[in-house]
Amino acid sequence: MTQTTTQSDANAVRFSGVVKSYGAVRAVNGAELSIGRGETVALLGRNGAGKSTTISLLLGLNEPDAGEVGIFGRTPEQAVRAGLVGAMLQEGSPIPRVTVRELVFFIGSMYPKPMPVAEALALAGLTEFADRRVDKLSGGQTQRVRFAMALAGNPELLLLDEPTAALDVEARRAFWESMRTYADRGNTVVFSTHYLEEADDNADRIVVIDRGRIVADGPGETIKRAAGGSLVSFDLAGMPTEGLSLLPGVAAVEIHGDRARLRSDDSDATVVALAAMGAVRRLEVAPASLEDAFLSLTARESETV
Amino acid sequence: MFEYIKLEMRRTLRDASFVTFGIGMPVLMYLLFTNIGGGQNDDADWKISSMIGMAAYGALGAALGVGTGVASDKSIGWLRQMRIAPLPPTRVVTGRAISGSVTVLPGILAVFLSGALVNGVRLDAWQWGALTLLLWIGALPFTMLGLGNGYRLSAQATGVVNVACLMGLAILGGLWFPVSAFPGWLRRIAEYTPTHRFADLGWATSQGHAPGAATIALMAAWLVVFGSYAVVSYRRSARTA
Repeated sequence: MTQTTTQSDANAVRFSGVVKSYGAVRAVNGAELSIGRGETVALLGRNGAGKSTTISLLLGLNEPDAGEVGIFGRTPEQAVRAGLVGAMLQEGSPIPRVTVRELVFFIGSMYPKPMPVAEALALAGLTEFADRRVDKLSGGQTQRVRFAMALAGNPELLLLDEPTAALDVEARRAFWESMRTYADRGNTVVFSTHYLEEADDNADRIVVIDRGRIVADGPGETIKRAAGGSLVSFDLAGMPTEGLSLLPGVAAVEIHGDRARLRSDDSDATVVALAAMGAVRRLEVAPASLEDAFLSLTARESETV
Repeated sequence: MFEYIKLEMRRTLRDASFVTFGIGMPVLMYLLFTNIGGGQNDDADWKISSMIGMAAYGALGAALGVGTGVASDKSIGWLRQMRIAPLPPTRVVTGRAISGSVTVLPGILAVFLSGALVNGVRLDAWQWGALTLLLWIGALPFTMLGLGNGYRLSAQATGVVNVACLMGLAILGGLWFPVSAFPGWLRRIAEYTPTHRFADLGWATSQGHAPGAATIALMAAWLVVFGSYAVVSYRRSARTA
């Protein structure tokens, strides 16, 4: 019994068999996911893949049709009430006729152990706008206000739904730096994005979601490997293409004109085999980019549907 | 919850148009009703009872109007933001109702002031105090009704539904025309309306006695009904957004 308690406490987030549909569309389809305390996890997927629904379920804004969602061993609603969760939602503009400082202070005041307002404003890069009316800010500044609101309660679990939309390159860099500072304090951070680089650069772990399903889950490296670790390409120079898919390590073959691109789990073995065939003209070996990995993972999923 | 009340009050008082309409409209209507149509009617009782009726009507309008603000807050995602904060729904609704009731007070005071200064209404000091307090507190069920509409409906629909509630309840409750002018069956329905009981709080006071137990009980019952409506609507609101 003690063991069960420790086990559930060890997880910040636990999804088991979660299904959520909107009409005929299964926005989340049987998701199994657990996120440990202190992890920084990216939910990666295209628009409409089910990322926002997942975050809504984590916040208790939506109830799953089936399965269970647990946050620190409680229901999402209990966790929200206890002030354990802070979130930055995607839509919504701040309410008119309050200043940034008033709004951030107010949000913090509802939590048991809020972050000092000055600190939340500094982390979100809003110090100089503290006394501005929230409705008089630009899109990027508004986005930072949302971040400050999410931080204000000093929550153990921070949920960020596409946090860098509307931010320019400079603001983006500053944002991720602040996010990592917050994560480094031992907090759990879950963010959604459709930028692959962002996920790879800022998360310990990437959960790839497509059509409501988790199609891959692991560190950036693992995701790349899952998609076929390397890309071996060479000029065919008129040689026949059949048999290429049978070479050692090869997972997939693409032909573009006179050039063959082989996705390989073991590029060394593939290259040796190609060399034995004499197919080495303009031979290149490149690690699969996360973009390739993502496309291949989500394409594989669509074939099985 | 205290901080929430503070925040919402601040926002309301910074809204110039809301303050102007909340105060200006009932005063204008009171002066029109007592001085233009019934100009030759010098009846002091009518001036008092219509003053109370119009103050009640103004309070009603302001109370329901709180819902319109809530509906526009909902459209920009503020309710969702509140839903993911640790404050439980009952406290969010209570806090919003209390902060909303601040907007009710200026209208009541302005009508009373114009009653005393323009129409020469004379009442004891305790009566003025009691009237103000009773109408102010008595507006709470209507604030709840307005909130329920605001949490449930879109911003445009809330405006329309609130006006319909306001007109319907005001006429049925006898705030515009005295209930004594109603046919018997309608009078019996009118007795149970929250608006009639609301105005009764004031009429009883102006006649120098405390409102009856039936009035207090009915107002409390309406507060529970509209209060539950507001809480249920609030709980539902974030999901559909």
